Amino acid sequence: MAAETAKKFEALERQAQTLMGVFVAAGHEAVAPSMIQPADVFLDVVGETLRARTYVFTDHNGDELCLRPDLTVPTCRLHLERHPEGNVAAKYCYNGPAFRFQPQGAASTHPREFRQAGIEAFAAGDRETADAETVATIIKAMKAAGLGAFKLRIGDLGLFSALLTASQMPERWRTLLTHQFWRPDAFRAELKRLVSSQAEALQGIPAELVRSLDPAEPDDAENTVGRYLERRGIELVGARSVSEITASLLDIVADGRGVPLPRQTADVIETYLQVRAPADAATARIEDLLRGKGVDITPALDTFDRRLALLADAGVDLAHTEFSAEFGRSLEYYTGFVFEIAVPGLGPTSPVAGGGRYDSLMHAAGAQKDVAAVGAAIHTERLLAAIEGANR
Amino acid sequence: MNERLVLAVPSKGRLMEQTSELLAAAGLQLRKTGHERGYRGEIDGLDGVDVTFISASEIAAHLKTGRAHLGVTGEDLVREHMADADDRVTLVKKLGFGHADVVVAVPLGWIDVRNMADLDRIAQPFRRTHGRWYRVATKYLNTTRRFFAAMGVTDYRLVESLGATEGTPAAGTADLIVDITSTGETLRANGLKILDDGVILKSEANLVVSNTAGWTPCTERTRDEILARLGV
Repeated sequence: MAAETAKKFEALERQAQTLMGVFVAAGHEAVAPSMIQPADVFLDVVGETLRARTYVFTDHNGDELCLRPDLTVPTCRLHLERHPEGNVAAKYCYNGPAFRFQPQGAASTHPREFRQAGIEAFAAGDRETADAETVATIIKAMKAAGLGAFKLRIGDLGLFSALLTASQMPERWRTLLTHQFWRPDAFRAELKRLVSSQAEALQGIPAELVRSLDPAEPDDAENTVGRYLERRGIELVGARSVSEITASLLDIVADGRGVPLPRQTADVIETYLQVRAPADAATARIEDLLRGKGVDITPALDTFDRRLALLADAGVDLAHTEFSAEFGRSLEYYTGFVFEIAVPGLGPTSPVAGGGRYDSLMHAAGAQKDVAAVGAAIHTERLLAAIEGANR
Repeated sequence: MNERLVLAVPSKGRLMEQTSELLAAAGLQLRKTGHERGYRGEIDGLDGVDVTFISASEIAAHLKTGRAHLGVTGEDLVREHMADADDRVTLVKKLGFGHADVVVAVPLGWIDVRNMADLDRIAQPFRRTHGRWYRVATKYLNTTRRFFAAMGVTDYRLVESLGATEGTPAAGTADLIVDITSTGETLRANGLKILDDGVILKSEANLVVSNTAGWTPCTERTRDEILARLGV
């Protein structure tokens, strides 16, 4: 237990009661999802990266289980148990431990056991309203617990998606860049590859296939690849079929024959990702950047502005809120609005709270379709440390 | 009395034979104490050494925790057992045997997958088609995770495989593998190829010193004697 003394534990519990009181008053139902979770769902949603930070174990039946690394996925699962499609509006709140392996060794700022208090809102009617309410409720709860100064940082992955959609490029490149978004280095490398000569793309692909494959004739292509494998006596092992391999080869061939991504498009994307501005100045900055570039993301910016207005109505000081275009790149399940709250004293790598929108998580966890979902959690030990530090 | 140095030596196979030969050539003749099939021994003419015969993988674990002072094991196993290998142990000498590369291998038919970047590129389409991430079978769980992360591949699932890993794609329990190979022949026989940038580690047997073992002036003297005879 991170609270090593009974006194500290009591202080944390008292604080949690205050937080939960605010959450419940805001219409969230208090729930207590299981600490032990099936590993499958977590690993499928978060991939092997978070797996390396998750305590995974095998029980006596050979089932793979894990200690929950956060409470968001368990709360989604709890909601899906009640409503298999997940598409019934519901608001939940929770307070309890989560567990993460700390590769650099456990430390007081990065303990392997920590307590999270948080909220989730599923299938809410209006996304921006739910986003703003989430931020407002979290701030209200932390203030009720005694938090003074803090710094709010926001981002919006919806703007980035809109920028890609509005930029001229083949759909497969959009998919690729979206996929790489979470890894800044790989993303930069990918952009660089797309603007440079595409001849390299064909290296290592058998010349006869490069000559004979035509992206305009996918059916012929599959036969060509099938015959190629057969002639060489290559028996295909595993689940991947000739048609999957062909589709992927056609992408490579199309890259090799096509024109590279215009330098200007890559520049716009890279410049956008560097935007950092006070939230109330962000829209103007982005509009400036895109003017005359033939890239129109007005609907996404309108959505962004509407959310800002709702945040301002809820009492958020936009002039002192930072917008960062790149923010949100660290956790793959976010899909739209993201935010984080830091306090002076604890530093930027130890935010006291954070959250955002993750509309595809419910689908990954078993629902047939995506379900609107937004949530946030407070790192309660850090919050307590911040409040005690400020009072000292 | 904790004054004796524990030397861990592979308990079976070619690795044991080559280790014994190497030590004998340096004037360090291993001798089993007690039962012929036992797991304890000494070195003729060198006092203060307990030889323990255990598996190469256990040797890495013993060096990590300091239960063994000195041991002979593969670098692949050292790296797999310790994320912080360079703090916990010192690889003092490559021994010139037990060569094996730890590699990423995919089905030969995957002509569109030449390197790790291609592997990453097919992750999303694979998931769309099959409703799951592709599975990577290996006994090198930590090594694989580290290498894939460094190469920017994150969307996969690891499947632990404790033997005949190269057969798992054909058996349908995995889609690709991370395994050791010396010539690549077994891989080819199982319809697999190594990715262009898929050599994770070129491993061989090493003489390894544990930094976490309880060293005393006495065990240090014994260590220096062994290292000197081995020409370290």
